Amino acid sequence: MNTLDQVGNYALSGYREIRYLSAITVQVLIQSVKPRYWTRAVRAEFYRQIISIGVDSAGFVFYVASAVGILVVAQALVWLQVIGQSRSLGALFVVVLIREAVPILTNFLIIGRSGTALTTELGNMRIAGEVRALDTQGLDPFIYLVMPRVLSLTISVFCLAVFFVAVSFSSGYLFSLLLSPAIADPGTFIYSISSSVTPVDIVNFLAKSIIPALFTGAICCAEGLRVETSFAEVPPATKRALSRSVRALFGISALVTLLTYA
Amino acid sequence: MRILSCAISGIEKAVSHSTTDPVLAGKNSDLSQTVLTFKGVSTEPSPFFDTPLWDVSFGLLQGQLLLVRLERGRFRLPLADLAAGILEPINGSVEFLGRNWRKMTADDAATQRAKMGRVFEGQGWISFLDVSQNITLAQRHHTTRSDAQIEAEATELARLFDLPGLPHGLVAGARREDLNRAAFIRAFLGHPALIILERPTRDLMPGILPPLVNAVRAARDQGSAIIWTTSDDLIWRDRGIDATFKCTMFGARMNVDAEEK
Repeated sequence: MNTLDQVGNYALSGYREIRYLSAITVQVLIQSVKPRYWTRAVRAEFYRQIISIGVDSAGFVFYVASAVGILVVAQALVWLQVIGQSRSLGALFVVVLIREAVPILTNFLIIGRSGTALTTELGNMRIAGEVRALDTQGLDPFIYLVMPRVLSLTISVFCLAVFFVAVSFSSGYLFSLLLSPAIADPGTFIYSISSSVTPVDIVNFLAKSIIPALFTGAICCAEGLRVETSFAEVPPATKRALSRSVRALFGISALVTLLTYA
Repeated sequence: MRILSCAISGIEKAVSHSTTDPVLAGKNSDLSQTVLTFKGVSTEPSPFFDTPLWDVSFGLLQGQLLLVRLERGRFRLPLADLAAGILEPINGSVEFLGRNWRKMTADDAATQRAKMGRVFEGQGWISFLDVSQNITLAQRHHTTRSDAQIEAEATELARLFDLPGLPHGLVAGARREDLNRAAFIRAFLGHPALIILERPTRDLMPGILPPLVNAVRAARDQGSAIIWTTSDDLIWRDRGIDATFKCTMFGARMNVDAEEK
């Protein structure tokens, strides 16, 4: 097979994979609005995933957000004051954090912490015959396993991204008071940020938080459920889920940036 | 070696008497609706099963019991998965409550599977749920019965199978014997139309036999059809089980040994 064939095959397989994952994502969204699929069992599984992915990650996100706040916000506050550009504070934070860093970082943290765990869990369930057992009892694995996981991951990422913004700004502002007591008062700080946020920034933030998370859920569930015969297949499936989720994250983020700001 | 001519005559009788309503008949009504039909079913060899099936045909009416003796070392049959529509045969067809699995949508198939109970050859437990959640999972998904009603019925079944109550706690921490008994609760819960028992007495003989036979008898009286696979000669010879059809596996073929009723 020559180089052109290989490139063509690679592109075709990429296209088919994107189409497959898009189909899973769309199907999740369609099924999720039908009340008859939200039985007690499915709701219980959804709540369990919200706690596992969202609530349990809050401490970890708080830690990272505090560090990011100190790194970015504190430095920006101090040095903008030095060069006399304090009025650019809000715009800088919106560009750096709200537009780009927070949605990407939050998705990244959840991919590493929860996405890989999803793939491992579903892969192990496949090998142990648990998915078959669910199917035999009339619990469609798509409705009972995939839909709650994709939705809970998406909702968790969005909520954690908002949480990240709040914590990073708070920690950065508090730390900067230590570096430079002459820093702007809280009211001015909050006003400078809120006045720099435009509706496009909100759309951008929502799109970059939610769309990659939907695809992360679909990728991690699909890779886990593709495991066929042996527990030895689970680690490679987890690695594939991780790399594909990260690629999807950066690809979608770049596309959203182009569409919203270009 | 006799082909299932008796079973085929049973199918013909069932077809002439069957209704279009798949709801399970009550205790006092005419128990003649066909629950399960295999017509010339064959499967491919698979790593999931110890043997495929070849040209298997039978029909089970409400209240009937098919007892299948397994060959030594070949315990994993595709029979249960075929009956549940999870596995598609390469030849033939499987009908449950008069409907062909191939012609059902995914939603219809899931709804139909709610009318089955099963004791799995493997454990079949969901590891992230505790034992009581596993037992009541299908009922909580498919019915609108209250949790209290479901748990009350499950507790009654637990006592029938010599458990002090509905088991709680994680599956990983449960004793094997308790899990095996809990599997009966799950299989009989909700009065299913078809109950598949895959070597249900393993690790529990002989004490489990009387309560199991009583539960099977009660289920049959209420119109459930039963498939029971066994590798135990004691079970095969036990007259108390009162099987409608007794079949032995020879390789991929299922041959009738005796029709008791």
